[in-house]
Amino acid sequence: MDDILEQPSSEAPPPKFDDNPDEQSSEDEDEGLDWTKLKTGISRPVIPKRGEKEHEPAAGGESGLQQHILQRSRNAMFDALRATRTISSKTVSYGIWHPSLVRVSVHVARGTHFSSMGHSASRPVKGKERPTKRTELLPEEAIYLIERGSLFCWKEIDIDLSGMEDVSGAPMSVQQAYAEMIGTEDVTLEKYQVYSYLRRLGYVVTRTVPPTSEYPAAAPFLKMGQLGQPRCSIFERIRSAFSSWILKLFTSTFNWWKPLGISRWLYHDKNYEHIFRSLRFMPAGHQLPLRQTKEDSSPYKPFYNLYKPPTPFKKTLPPPPDFQIVVINTRTTSMPSLQELTDLFDISPELPIPLPKRSPPPRPAPTPLSWWRAVLPFLRRDLGPPARRPNPFAALRAGKKTVIVAAVDSGNISFFRFMQGAFMDWPMA
Amino acid sequence: MTDSNSRISISVTNKRAFIWEVDDIAVIRSKYRICGILTGTLPHVSQQNVFLGVPLSLMPEEVVLLVENESAVLVDDPNAYPEPSLEQITEWDSARLESIQKQLNITESLKHASSLNTRSMSEEAIRKRRERKQRKTIPAEETEPSLKMSMSGHPVHSIVIPASSSSTKWYSPGTCTYASIDSAKAAGIWDYPSNLHERAKCGVFRSLWEQGYFMGGGIKFGGDYLVYPGDPMRYHSHFTATVIDSPLSALQPMEIVAHGRLGTATKKAHLICCWDDKKKEVTLMSIEWGGFG
Repeated sequence: MDDILEQPSSEAPPPKFDDNPDEQSSEDEDEGLDWTKLKTGISRPVIPKRGEKEHEPAAGGESGLQQHILQRSRNAMFDALRATRTISSKTVSYGIWHPSLVRVSVHVARGTHFSSMGHSASRPVKGKERPTKRTELLPEEAIYLIERGSLFCWKEIDIDLSGMEDVSGAPMSVQQAYAEMIGTEDVTLEKYQVYSYLRRLGYVVTRTVPPTSEYPAAAPFLKMGQLGQPRCSIFERIRSAFSSWILKLFTSTFNWWKPLGISRWLYHDKNYEHIFRSLRFMPAGHQLPLRQTKEDSSPYKPFYNLYKPPTPFKKTLPPPPDFQIVVINTRTTSMPSLQELTDLFDISPELPIPLPKRSPPPRPAPTPLSWWRAVLPFLRRDLGPPARRPNPFAALRAGKKTVIVAAVDSGNISFFRFMQGAFMDWPMA
Repeated sequence: MTDSNSRISISVTNKRAFIWEVDDIAVIRSKYRICGILTGTLPHVSQQNVFLGVPLSLMPEEVVLLVENESAVLVDDPNAYPEPSLEQITEWDSARLESIQKQLNITESLKHASSLNTRSMSEEAIRKRRERKQRKTIPAEETEPSLKMSMSGHPVHSIVIPASSSSTKWYSPGTCTYASIDSAKAAGIWDYPSNLHERAKCGVFRSLWEQGYFMGGGIKFGGDYLVYPGDPMRYHSHFTATVIDSPLSALQPMEIVAHGRLGTATKKAHLICCWDDKKKEVTLMSIEWGGFG
C-alpha cells in the first residue's frame, strides 16, 4: 500500500472485484473454498460493514430512518451468523474425542494446520503388543479446528459401530465441543478465547508448560549476545579494539572533568563508576533479589508460547518462542503484584536494545554513480551515514524485558505489555 | 411473564453463559436489549477477528437479568449429552447418506444442465464459463464426480459441522434446565452474584437497563460498563459506568480526576454508580471536565 502512495503513477490502481473490502484480509484461507459448489441456498456469508455510528436516537424515540438502518444492519449480522459451517469431504479432517484422555486423536489429518498443531503420542492399542503412535490434539486445538470447520469430531462411545461405514462415534457439534472440552487440561474459556484470537491472526500458539512429556517443549531462550546483535567479523573487532586503544594512548589530553582518568592504571578502584557506586546508599537494579512475599498460586504464569507467522516453526522441535503470554480473567484477578511481575521478568529473555529510529531518508535522485554501489555492496556501507548510538530514552521505554498479559473480560480481550526499564544501564550523569 | 417454552436457553459451561441459536441472539438483542459479545470463529471468514460468530458470550450480569425477568432459562450443557443409542446413530448416519445423495443429484443435474447448454452455447456463455474457471470456484473434479472418490468411498461432497446442538436428536437439555438463579446455584452450575460487589454490579446493570439503555462491557474504557442510548451497532455510548459497592465506600480524589480525564478524552461522561445494598437502590453521578480556562 505504501509503495502505491510513494510512487505516484498515472495509471489507476487495478479494480478490485471484492465487493466487501473488510473481507480482503480473510480471503487468503489456506484451504480451498470449494463449498460454493452447492447451489442449494447456502451462500458465502456477507459480513456487515463497520459503518459510521450516530450520536443518539432522535428525541422521542428512533426515527423511521434510524429504525430502518438499524434493522438492516442487524439483519446483515444475523445472516452472517447463520452461515453454515461446511467443508468438502476432500479437505476435512476427522478426529475422535476421548474424554478420559482429554485429547482428540486424529485419524484423518488434512490441511496445513497440522504442521503447527497436534503432537504425537503413543497409546496402547487393543490386539497389539507395542503402543502405536498417533497424532493427538489438545482441547483448545480441537475446538479451534472444529469451530473453523476444518475438523469433524466424533465422541468416543461404547456402542459397537462395526456395521456402519465411516462412523467412529457420536458426531459432535461446536456447542458440544465447547461444553465438553473447555475446563479440561487447564483450558479455561479465557485461555481458549485468547488461543483462537491469536490463531485467527495467524500466530502459531503452543503451550508454555508441556501438559505431558510427549508434548514437545520449546527450546530455551537464547542468551543475550547470541541473539539480535549483528555479528562483526574478526577483522573488524581487532581493528576497533586497536583503534580505541591506540587512540586513547596517543590522544590522552588532560580532561578537567575526569581528573581521575590518569590514575586508572595505578589505582584501579578509583574510576568513576566505582566512586559513584560507593556514593550510592540506595540499592538499585533488577539483579538484587526482591524481598520474598508469600504467593502460593499466582495466576500470572505464562500459558502460551507465541510464534510470529514468519518464524520457521518445527512442530517436533519448537524454537524459542517469540513471545510468552499470560492469560487472566479480569473479573477474578487483580493487577499483578511486584513479586508476580518480577517472577515473570526473571523467566523472560533479555531483549536487544532498540535501534534508533531513523527518519526515512529522502529518496535520492537517481545518479549515474548508483550502479557501482549496487555492484560493490561494501562501498555502500562506507558511504552511508555513521551508525547512530541508541537513544537512551527509547531503550528505557522499551525496557530490557517484557511480559505480555491478555486480560479477558467475558469475551473482551485486551493485551497489555509490562516492561522492565533498565535505568541502571543508562546513567544520565 | 412468559411460559418456559418460549424462554431462551442459555447454555452454561464452567459457569460461563453462551447462546448458540441465531434466532435467540436476534430476540435478546431486539426484544430484551441484551447484546453480549460474539466470540466464535465465523465459518469461511475464519482468519480475522473483526467479525466473529456464534457462540454469543453473555456477561454474568446479563444472564442474571434475563433469568430474573423470566426471559431465559439456564441449561447445564455438559450434562445434556446422554450417550446416543445405536438407533439414533443409525438414523443420523442414514440422514447423512441421504444428504450426500441429494448433493450428488444436484451436482449431477447441474452438470446435465450445463451439458445441454453447451450445444447452444453463445459466445457470451463461453466467455462466462472461462471466467468461472479462472475464479476456480468450481473445482475440476466436480464435473466428473464418479472419477474422483474421496476416502470415505463417496464422491466429493460437502460436510456440515453444526454450530448448535439443537438438531442433534440425542441432545436433551430438558432434564438439566434451571429456571431461576437460585436453582442453578443449588445445582452448582452458576454462582453469580455471590458477594456484595457482584450484587452491586447486577443492581447497577439492571437499573440502567430498565431506563432503556443498552449496556456493553467497559473494560477498554476504564469502567465496568459502557452505556449506550440505543443499539451499540448504530449509536455511540455516552457514558462509562463504574460501580461503587456501597454508599460508604471511599472514593479517592485521584479516581475522580482519572475518570474525568478518561471520559473527556473518549468523548464520554463518566458515570459513578453507587449501589445501596440495603435499599436496593442506585445513585448515579456523572463527572465531566468543567473546562474553565
